[in-house]
Amino acid sequence: MIIKAIDAINEFVGRIVVVLAVLFAAIIIYDVIMRYALNAPTRWAFDLSKQLYGFYFILLGAYALKHQAHVRVDLLLERFPSGVQRVVEILGYVIFFFPFTWVFLTRSYDFASTSWAQGETTYGAVALPIYPLKAALCVAAALLLIQGVSEVLKLIFGRQEIVQ
Amino acid sequence: MTGLGGESIALIMFGLLVLGLMMGHPLAFVLGGTAVLGALIAGKPMVLGIVINRIFGDVIDNYTLIAIPLFVLMAQFLSNSGVTDKMFESLRLLMSNVRGGLALAVVFISILLAATTGIIGASITVMGVMALRPMLQYGYAPTLTTGVIAASGCLGILIPPSIMLILMASYSPLSVGELFAGAMLPGVILGLLYAGWVAIVAAVRPDMAPSVQPDDMPPRRELVLMLLKEAMPPLLLIFGILGSLLAGIATATEASAIGAALALAIVIARRRFTLAGFYDALKETGKTSAMILFIVVGATAFTGVFNITGGLRATQEIIRGLDMEPWMLMTVMMFIVFILGAFLDWTGIVLLSFPIFLPIVQEMPSVDLLWFVVLMSIVLQTSFLTPPFGYALFYLRAIAPKEVKTTDIIKGVLPFIGLILLMCVAVALVPGLVTWLPATLYR
Amino acid sequence: QDNWMMTTTWPSSLELIEFDKHFVDLANKLTGDTLTIDFFEGGSLVPAGEVFGAVQSGTVQAGADWPGYWAGRDAAFTPLATTPALFNAVDYVNWIQQWGGREFYEKTYGEFGMVYLPYGVTNNESGFHTNKSMTTLEDLQGMRLRVSGNEQGRILERLGGSQVSMAGGEVYQSLERGVIDGGEFSTPNVDYSAGFQQVTTHWSTPGWHQSASVFGVAINKGAWDALDADTQEKLRIAADATMLWSLSFTEKRATEAYSKWDEEVTVERYTDEALAEVQNVANEVIVEVSCESPTAGAVYLSMAEYLGNYSQWREASAPYNLGRTPNGPSIEELQACVDG
Ligand code: NA
Ligand code: NA
Repeated sequence: MIIKAIDAINEFVGRIVVVLAVLFAAIIIYDVIMRYALNAPTRWAFDLSKQLYGFYFILLGAYALKHQAHVRVDLLLERFPSGVQRVVEILGYVIFFFPFTWVFLTRSYDFASTSWAQGETTYGAVALPIYPLKAALCVAAALLLIQGVSEVLKLIFGRQEIVQ
Repeated sequence: MTGLGGESIALIMFGLLVLGLMMGHPLAFVLGGTAVLGALIAGKPMVLGIVINRIFGDVIDNYTLIAIPLFVLMAQFLSNSGVTDKMFESLRLLMSNVRGGLALAVVFISILLAATTGIIGASITVMGVMALRPMLQYGYAPTLTTGVIAASGCLGILIPPSIMLILMASYSPLSVGELFAGAMLPGVILGLLYAGWVAIVAAVRPDMAPSVQPDDMPPRRELVLMLLKEAMPPLLLIFGILGSLLAGIATATEASAIGAALALAIVIARRRFTLAGFYDALKETGKTSAMILFIVVGATAFTGVFNITGGLRATQEIIRGLDMEPWMLMTVMMFIVFILGAFLDWTGIVLLSFPIFLPIVQEMPSVDLLWFVVLMSIVLQTSFLTPPFGYALFYLRAIAPKEVKTTDIIKGVLPFIGLILLMCVAVALVPGLVTWLPATLYR
Repeated sequence: QDNWMMTTTWPSSLELIEFDKHFVDLANKLTGDTLTIDFFEGGSLVPAGEVFGAVQSGTVQAGADWPGYWAGRDAAFTPLATTPALFNAVDYVNWIQQWGGREFYEKTYGEFGMVYLPYGVTNNESGFHTNKSMTTLEDLQGMRLRVSGNEQGRILERLGGSQVSMAGGEVYQSLERGVIDGGEFSTPNVDYSAGFQQVTTHWSTPGWHQSASVFGVAINKGAWDALDADTQEKLRIAADATMLWSLSFTEKRATEAYSKWDEEVTVERYTDEALAEVQNVANEVIVEVSCESPTAGAVYLSMAEYLGNYSQWREASAPYNLGRTPNGPSIEELQACVDG
């Protein structure tokens, strides 16, 4: 139940966020055309495309985890019996994943709320608000953390049965 | 100072890295987790704030890295449309008289791709998606296949434009232009060395790089037409990207967006566009980009904690304790870079070693700084290929089918590591390989 | 016995880091055993753009910077860092030390829980490096120029050029390939080490977009308060000493670099008419920004008041004086903005 809910959330977020790539590609190309052909570069394309890219990849971390897309070395692991494999994989989450995502979540919460309170903007040609992006960092950490919970539950209860 | 000394922290953090990798945990989180544990073990939990500062500043607020999802998107558009598979089939047939023709095609197309971008993850993914399946299908040995793709894919970081050279310029007194010019010849020559090696393997071991069966061969006229139709669009795409760069229409980052748009245009022009296929490409791009960029996230967290807990300082002191002849010290430094390359990514190595090495090198009148930095960037080519921690190995592992063993990939890259070291010796003996072009262009 | 970690926005390759090193060196000598500042070069702990946040949160105790980077948090940081066509380096020193400027640093950084010690000034930045002669405003029309900063962009666009925003690392290549028609980066010595002389043929002086700049160190308030008064005093002494050193140091380095530039590219001055028009537009933009942001307005007003107050003696002592009295923005207009 929890597993299904978490997976559904990250699948939903992922399927929306992947489309952002088209958006920032289009903005960059628009800016190139405006600058090269019309000699009128936009003031906003640089900061806006950079921000969209930020939203894009950081929010996709959990989606990639759900699809097991994060690179790992299976050199030793694939030689162990499946029971040992599962225990070692769970330990990996406990030792590395959760400490990292916990720090990622708590520190990015402070980071985002400071920026939000200051109403921080970019300082270049245009003043775009920057706190939504910093808030997205915190949301991304939360999504990643719950997806980790889902993955560990899958390991405990056996991934095969769940996927069926 | 409270807590452990720098040497102990350095040892513990490297130990944790190796442990996490052996446990088969995703690399991105092993790096990030090691950063957190390293800070805790050092007794400095308060420094963990830099993890978020670094993720935001180095990875999110970084215009250059936009090129990663865009080049991946370009590759996805091409592969999902089937254009690239056909292109390789055409190239295979074109090179049917040449032994190892497909592997040679991989090298030459990689050199071209290298001249459009400097992002290893993207280059290897493009080449992997394009060439891996066709090569295995036509009976190439998995070792040669993965080796040639991994090694050639790394040329992008050596042949300009390259984000690594840009970073190196910003952390040294050298200009981007000098570094680009300095790395150009060694990069291209290294690519040609790969091609030479492929030719030798194909001659000595035809079973590893088979030639095309005669009954596969279509009539000559049909082959020429097929080539024009299938092989030209992707090549035009590469020249389109290079052209927009050289004609001064776009920056390297912008050229990646142009590349993606051109790839989409090719798909549409060839009537292979479907909305479902388009959306699939977006989803795959999202996963691959997140995978690559989260490794950068983990690496930046790791490097920051490594520096702040004193691992860097400890390493500095050891090097400065050595009292050696210039050539001996150069060899030792390059050896250290080589060893570090087995464990760290180039960002980490550049950020770690430049502050230690460059002041020492600048003090030596007999050593040219440009030559030193380019030599180091050649040595860094091995960092993508040396286990346990070679990003090219990981990227390739991620896209290779299960039948290809990880050990095949590692065995496959070994000869190419040898070729890189051979290139290093050549550059050490003939410094003109590095210094001639910058001197000609800028003096 | 305190131990501080201090970082900076500058990588080791940018000469601006010399200010920070000079300050740290002096401070460590003066404070002896009571305070040790451990200095980490830019990028090794946190990226340049995150130095402010890292000091504010107390992750590091001190961070060297150029205040303009933080203008997204408060527009007042821009005039604390630089002015278009207004102050020279000595004006900044005068204003900070004797005309009340220091209070604006304390107040603006104080809002974010930090103490600020300004300790570096540089005079005029280079200006635009281009591939064609540019001495009049007609020459500037339609030029796509890389320039950073909000005020700077507004001035350029009113003069008829186009602001292109671009990461520092992309400027060289974009100049080389003509993606942009020209660009500015920093002072002559820094621009020379960035290699712009290799990819441009002309350089237009003076750099009106940044007539002078200020650098210094932001210190976490908690860390500062933990020091005894004596140590705080010693840090202020180190900062003031570094400021004087920085002025002559960069002027020397810029002089050396200028002669190299002069050999390799065509160096040309804008005409006096062009500079007069730049001044008018800069004044307009300064007033405009002051009306949008009362905190920035208060700083600009104080600067204009200094210029007015100092002008009589400065002109009486001409030509043996320190710089020029600019025909700057009107005090009345700025006052009206600040009063709302
Ligand atoms: Na490249
Ligand atoms: Na490696």
